[in-house]
Amino acid sequence: MDLEVNGSPSAAPAEGEETAAAYIRDRLGLTGTKTACGTGVCGACTVLVDGSPTVSCLLPADRLAGRSVTTVEGLGGSHPVQRAFAAHDGLQCGYCTPGFVVEAAAFTDAWRAEHGDVRPDREAIADALAGHLCRCGAYEGIFAAVAAACAGDFDGDPGQDPPRADAPDKVTGRARFTVDHTPRGCWEGVIVRSTVAHARVRSIDAGGARTQAEPGTAPVLVDLLGSDRTVRYAGQPIAAVAAPTAARARAAAEAVRVDYEVLPAALDPATALEPDAPVLYPTRAERRAAPTYAEGVALPSAWNGNLRGPFTLGWRGGTAVRRLRAAERSGDPRLVTREYTTSAQLHTALEPHACVADWDDGHLTLHVSTQAVSETADTVAGRWGLPRERVRVVTEYVGGGFGAKGILSTETVAAVELSRIAGAPVRVALTRAEELTDAGYRPATRTRVALLADQRGDLAAMSVDSHGYGGVSHGSMTAVLAALMYGRTPRRTRDYDVVTHHPPGSPFRAPGGPPMAFALEQAVDEMAERLGEDPLSLRRRWDGNTRRAALYEKVAALPLWTARPRGERTGRFRRGVGLAASNWLFIVSPRSQVELVVENGVIVVRSATQDIGTGIRTVLRDVVAERLGTPADALRVEIGDSASVHGAGATGSRSTNSMGPAAAEAADALRVALRERSDRVPAEGPVPEVGLKEALAAAEGVRVVGGRPLDRWERMSSLLAGGGDMAMGRGLIGGVHVMEVEVDTLLGRVRPRRCWAGIAAGRIYAERLARNQCEGAVVQGVGYALFEGRRDDPATGAVLTANMEDYRIPGPGDVPETEVYFHEEGFEHVPGGGVGLGEVSTVGVAAALANAVHDATGWRPTDLPIRPDRLLEGLR
Amino acid sequence: MTVTRPSDLDGALAGLAEGGALARAGGTDLTACVAEGVLPGGPVVDLTGVAGMSGTDRRDDGSVRVGALTTVTELAEGPLLAGSYPALARTARGLATPQVRGTATLGGNLLQRNRCWYLRNPAFDCHQSGGSSCPARTGDHLYGVVVDQGPCVAPHPSSLAAALAAYDASIEVAGRGSSRSVPVAELYDGTDPTRDHVLDPAEVVVSVALPAPVPGERGAYLRATGRSRAEWPLVEVVVRLACEDRGSGPVASAAVAVGGVARTPLRLPGVEDALAGSVPGGGLSPAVVAALEGLADLCSPLPGTRYKVALLSSTVRAGLLRALGAEEG
Repeated sequence: MDLEVNGSPSAAPAEGEETAAAYIRDRLGLTGTKTACGTGVCGACTVLVDGSPTVSCLLPADRLAGRSVTTVEGLGGSHPVQRAFAAHDGLQCGYCTPGFVVEAAAFTDAWRAEHGDVRPDREAIADALAGHLCRCGAYEGIFAAVAAACAGDFDGDPGQDPPRADAPDKVTGRARFTVDHTPRGCWEGVIVRSTVAHARVRSIDAGGARTQAEPGTAPVLVDLLGSDRTVRYAGQPIAAVAAPTAARARAAAEAVRVDYEVLPAALDPATALEPDAPVLYPTRAERRAAPTYAEGVALPSAWNGNLRGPFTLGWRGGTAVRRLRAAERSGDPRLVTREYTTSAQLHTALEPHACVADWDDGHLTLHVSTQAVSETADTVAGRWGLPRERVRVVTEYVGGGFGAKGILSTETVAAVELSRIAGAPVRVALTRAEELTDAGYRPATRTRVALLADQRGDLAAMSVDSHGYGGVSHGSMTAVLAALMYGRTPRRTRDYDVVTHHPPGSPFRAPGGPPMAFALEQAVDEMAERLGEDPLSLRRRWDGNTRRAALYEKVAALPLWTARPRGERTGRFRRGVGLAASNWLFIVSPRSQVELVVENGVIVVRSATQDIGTGIRTVLRDVVAERLGTPADALRVEIGDSASVHGAGATGSRSTNSMGPAAAEAADALRVALRERSDRVPAEGPVPEVGLKEALAAAEGVRVVGGRPLDRWERMSSLLAGGGDMAMGRGLIGGVHVMEVEVDTLLGRVRPRRCWAGIAAGRIYAERLARNQCEGAVVQGVGYALFEGRRDDPATGAVLTANMEDYRIPGPGDVPETEVYFHEEGFEHVPGGGVGLGEVSTVGVAAALANAVHDATGWRPTDLPIRPDRLLEGLR
Repeated sequence: MTVTRPSDLDGALAGLAEGGALARAGGTDLTACVAEGVLPGGPVVDLTGVAGMSGTDRRDDGSVRVGALTTVTELAEGPLLAGSYPALARTARGLATPQVRGTATLGGNLLQRNRCWYLRNPAFDCHQSGGSSCPARTGDHLYGVVVDQGPCVAPHPSSLAAALAAYDASIEVAGRGSSRSVPVAELYDGTDPTRDHVLDPAEVVVSVALPAPVPGERGAYLRATGRSRAEWPLVEVVVRLACEDRGSGPVASAAVAVGGVARTPLRLPGVEDALAGSVPGGGLSPAVVAALEGLADLCSPLPGTRYKVALLSSTVRAGLLRALGAEEG
């Protein structure tokens, strides 16, 4: 029996194991429907079956027979919900968007039929969208969009462009992600992973797969194990196989036999430090080759068995320690000490790591889901010894990254190697279980803070010791971030790593920031309580940062803060309000460039940067349009292709502050070029429409390139990393979060109600998009605070939270109503006046939430996540 | 993998008599189980076209028969059930996500596999997958049982089973050449670690029989979770209160069932008995409070589920208050 898809008849799916999602994507090529979790949890694959929203990943394909299916493509692009999502910016990376849009369209139509053009409240929308997850956390925009569509606000064309340049492609399913790319004749690759935590691999039996380039369609295998032939965690890649179909590739992977000499493993930090514990890296060469999760280069440190560190940084550290010890001896009430722990947080980007590699006559083309197109192309050229111009990396859209897609990773290495032997393009995309096991995470931490105040209540000494638990990797930079807070009183910070036989960590949005703030900002609150002082007033006295001072001033007048409940709270549901400071570094990509080319009378804006949901297309469009005073439709932005000039990687909060000024410089260069061809182009100010037309006609083919000018007054600091493309600028980026929670003391649930996010990152380039990113940072911070934590089997080290049911990220109903405030002054020395906000916006969220829980209940949460079992235990 | 679509029960039972055949209704659990290796792929007998397994009808004796293919959404929204069996409808409304509720069925929900992260991880063997141990018992069992009935420690996943237990419902089961009626409580055996229900793979749940409704029943469903929605319960409770004066008078009889705590749904007779005489809108009587405290005696927690001892009591408390219309502020 045939079926109908988007109004057209379609051949019935063949019987088999295939899901409806696979049929729709692979057979019909309707790639707007995404798959992410594969277990019906995230909703990205939602389609309408006979009008009902259905998760197509759990629907067997044969069940589509005789049914009518509507995918996001079938909504046509002008459904009020699609217009509303674009106008209210209810999206970031766009990967979950088709599923949300399909569900919301069905909900909106049903709601209006039942209630008329009435705005549903947040609870009703959260109920309707309960089967969807957005990892970027664009929920504020989604709530606004659905409410507006229900009210009939988008029945007609809104008449103005949406704030996000690529929103129309994302709400219609047209945006193509790496996993949507399947070139003709593409083979599928599968990674073979270690089933044990620690072993020497004696041999790998390829199970019949060939390991040399030769013609044919027999499966191929490449070895991914290092020269030490040692696996150090369950899930470590050992080999990869590829075959012309996914089923054959999976069969080939199962045929591979690995002969292990199993070795004892260190599966928790405590036993890893015992004298007889197996040492992960016994030799200097192994220690040097050990992976790091630091962004850029790890801090230098010595090793002692499985302990690395300390890396010590401070200011009059000896004085600080002497004062703290004396205070402890004398029982000084102004001494506050406590230990805090955090859990491993998985990035959980909804698009998995994926790469399609294709060798052709010594040229290598890669479609990669990466946050760093230019840097990946540089790295690939170096690794495989190719001239840079023979490597092309293409990344049209990226379904989230959050730090996990910043460097060359296994799927890309495997795809490149496999393609070379297979003589065909090869795609390797991680399964969700792989993604949640071996695609990086924010390492767990244990942090001890000691603060001492003097007679006047000023900070007299601070000490912060932090241990990072990044499995086989090291790179803790948690305590060191505390050294940048609260002035220059004597302080000592020490960072340690304990390595264990677990998967390696990786940078995750403000590496080290959230665990540092969780510890330090709670300690500051505890000190305020000890001194009998308001936590805001204490921070205003202690915090020397002028940008944050402006934010504190706003908080002092904020009803959320001033009208907060006081005194002891009783009853089952208790409300509390907490605040926390955020701090982050200002990082720049000095190599960033933007090229402008006049093609067919249109200015094409190009750079090898990429959009992971932050909105860099919009920033480039707006900067060039504003600089030239031209309408946005005279421009076309093309990014995500390494064939263009070097673009900033989307890590370190640096893309906008690097690419924006480069675009401005390019626009100025184009103006000069256009003036040479038309005297109707003024030296400054808007270019009149007729003049522009005339000038562009005369300038066909003209190409100019702009770079990132240096900041005023000074050169930037030495390069940190990132292919030599990260430098530190002057000034710290500030943030203050105020969070209101309601604690259900009976069932142990914390409900974040409202959040105010004050961000001091200089001038804002694209207000709605920046706000969206800050709102999403609150969502991720709430996840970190309340729900998220990887869990491993204590006996084998296998990751148990390897699916999105057990690894729990916040849904629409779990997030506070969030208001974002931008303080736009303080970075006038930076071209464009603005710095990055992607990271600072998440640093203090969990800390503010924890302070709010303490305010509500009197109990201080020292361990993340604040799960019901911990809260109930704490309140007993 | 072949799929057959019988149009009647005999055809379905004949198909299932083949070794390794899998019965499929909504397919939401089956699809994931096959993909995760919890179930081996086999010939599929799709039940959705089988006559007589759909719909809800009231019988002469006042009882109601609900077809096994009824979707969870239909249970939640069907006027007959919502009016007469409020605790069942509320339970249906409170589980899974809108999309899953729209596809998943009553029968499938009762027979679904448990959610243990060891069972669903191909790296592990356990009693359920042909092994001889329970790695969760010795490993990480944060979401495990608090009433330890046997070797396996995965709580029963079916919220509807808890609701049906509270209604003393029975399950109409068809096998080759026979059919039988099984009280819902006997559908599960907590001491058998190898499976999540006692039916033979060749048997089919045809329908569920609900005893005649109680006029003026007050019902509540509540689950304790970390997130607000779309999460498996740490503990869940179904409460039915038969109140005099069409629901406004004192409690004449009560049924309370809990899930998330044991390998099977459990009724709480001590709490039920103590509820007699409680008044809607009022608080909990000292007898009820004492019965709630007594729930700790029921528990035999694992090292990682000690928190559920208190959570069981508090979840039931919250459920009772909700059913009485007296939620704490």
